[in-house]
Amino acid sequence: MAEKTISNEFTKGLWSENPIFRQLLGLCPTLAVTNAVVNGLAMGAATTFVLLFSSIVISSIKKLIPNQVRIASFIVVIATFVTVADRFLAAFFPDISKALGPYVPLIVVNCIILGRQEAFSSKNPVFRSIIDALGMGIGFTISLLILSSIREILGNGTFFGIPLTGAWFKPWLIMILPPGAFFTLGLLMGIFKYLDKKRK
Amino acid sequence: MELVAIFISAILINNFVLHYFLGICPFLGVSKRIDSAFSMGLAVTFVMTITAIVSWIINHWVLIPYNLDYLQIVSFILVIASLVQLVEMFIRKTSPPLYQALGIYLPLITTNCAILGLALLAALKNYSFIETIIFGLGSGIGFTLAIVLMAGIREQLDMADVPEVLKGPGIALITAGIMALGFLGFTGMLK
Amino acid sequence: MNIYTRMIIVLTSIGLISGAFLAGVGTLTKNRIALNKQREINEAIMTVVSGAQISSKIYEERDLAVYKVNNEENELLGYAVYAGGVGFQDKIYLMFGVNPEITRIYSLTVLEQKETPGLGAKITSEKDFLQFWKNRDCTKEITLHKPAVNSPEQLSPSEVNIITGATISSEAVVNIVNLALEKIRALKNEGKL
Repeated sequence: MAEKTISNEFTKGLWSENPIFRQLLGLCPTLAVTNAVVNGLAMGAATTFVLLFSSIVISSIKKLIPNQVRIASFIVVIATFVTVADRFLAAFFPDISKALGPYVPLIVVNCIILGRQEAFSSKNPVFRSIIDALGMGIGFTISLLILSSIREILGNGTFFGIPLTGAWFKPWLIMILPPGAFFTLGLLMGIFKYLDKKRK
Repeated sequence: MELVAIFISAILINNFVLHYFLGICPFLGVSKRIDSAFSMGLAVTFVMTITAIVSWIINHWVLIPYNLDYLQIVSFILVIASLVQLVEMFIRKTSPPLYQALGIYLPLITTNCAILGLALLAALKNYSFIETIIFGLGSGIGFTLAIVLMAGIREQLDMADVPEVLKGPGIALITAGIMALGFLGFTGMLK
Repeated sequence: MNIYTRMIIVLTSIGLISGAFLAGVGTLTKNRIALNKQREINEAIMTVVSGAQISSKIYEERDLAVYKVNNEENELLGYAVYAGGVGFQDKIYLMFGVNPEITRIYSLTVLEQKETPGLGAKITSEKDFLQFWKNRDCTKEITLHKPAVNSPEQLSPSEVNIITGATISSEAVVNIVNLALEKIRALKNEGKL
């Protein structure tokens, strides 16, 4: 593979290697917390935070870690930052923390994070890892925002809690219930594939 | 009564896959054939029940008495990782065909959110020891039910005329949505 | 250096560093998290017993807690009761205030619920549900009024309004309250309140 430019390293997370639509990673939080835009945004931010700091730490200490214990070491580092994110939300944003429930601690097992450490940070210098983590994190966050906007607007008639539609609109309750999550993501995957085909 | 409610709720109402969205990766990845889906379900049920027991012991005998709740995530994930490793070694020794069928998904149980999710949810709901075991077992059965049903549908789906762009994950997710819709019918059965 | 020694040293040091770091984060956030919880309870107490100033937890068991509530002059206003039980989807946790004789419910608020948005979740809505819980006579069991009415005046003193389309959620709240009332009466008779 040819050496990528720094900007490529960043933009690949947005489209060509988008974690949700392209790599199908991190689907659990994607489906679970996207019933309201604010939850999607908080989840995206928390995941980006964990991804960024884990990448910094792991790309700096990669030479010290023996190959056999690398996964265990990665998991401990990731779990540490997840705990920080979890405690921070519980202390300063109790409402969001309550709404996200166990899905913040579950960032630990979000395959995006471990995947990036294994595929990228453990092989690349610190600066590149930062760019990669930001690209992936932002690509993930944008995907969550798209999904949660669709679900909140159609399912509740609001955006960020602000009423958007008039009284004539009867919200499609199903959109904020679990089935709506599956339907929306399934259709979005189809649309993503279609757009991708047209681009080629 | 409480125990029956927890058990039924874990299988049907608050189904791990269709309600909590936990374990989506194996749910989409290992649901192409019924027999491998069933083996995956069994492996998860087994690991879940053991995790429920071990995580309860850690939480109530170590973390809570010594005020170490901030170590909950780290300790749970480490325990789960080692447990999965043990289960993997056990299956590899006792049943090579099963080991082959599960392929790369067995090591992935470590990062299967369903297992950690179970430990965290049980801690969050403040279940007693027995309730935690029932919750773990029920959740595993619920996962198995969902993944086997999904595999049954997908075997048929192979022969259906699906729009080109929806092939693969798209149609699988929409199918899961219809299943979730069906499972919504179970809500309210406990009161 | 032998590879095993190195593995052990690396893993142990990562574990120790992470543990120490988390201990710091844990201590820093601990008070604030406890404060948040306390504030949520206090706000709920003030909602369900008007004029509440001083409150203290006097009884606690699983899914039930009783707070004694006093006003500024330290006179007993009544009790705030925290109770939980099974709803339509998952557990519902709520708090209601009663007078010291346990004959009248002042008011009710829902603290935690995962009912269907737009239907069962209306148990948190003042207009659809909570306003009908003000000043209920609880010498008898609380019952649901079917079909739904528009204003509290149309209800008899120990009735509350049903939510159209969410019978089970409405019933769940009534059951939780009735059960909690029964328990605190028993506690009162035992002299524990």
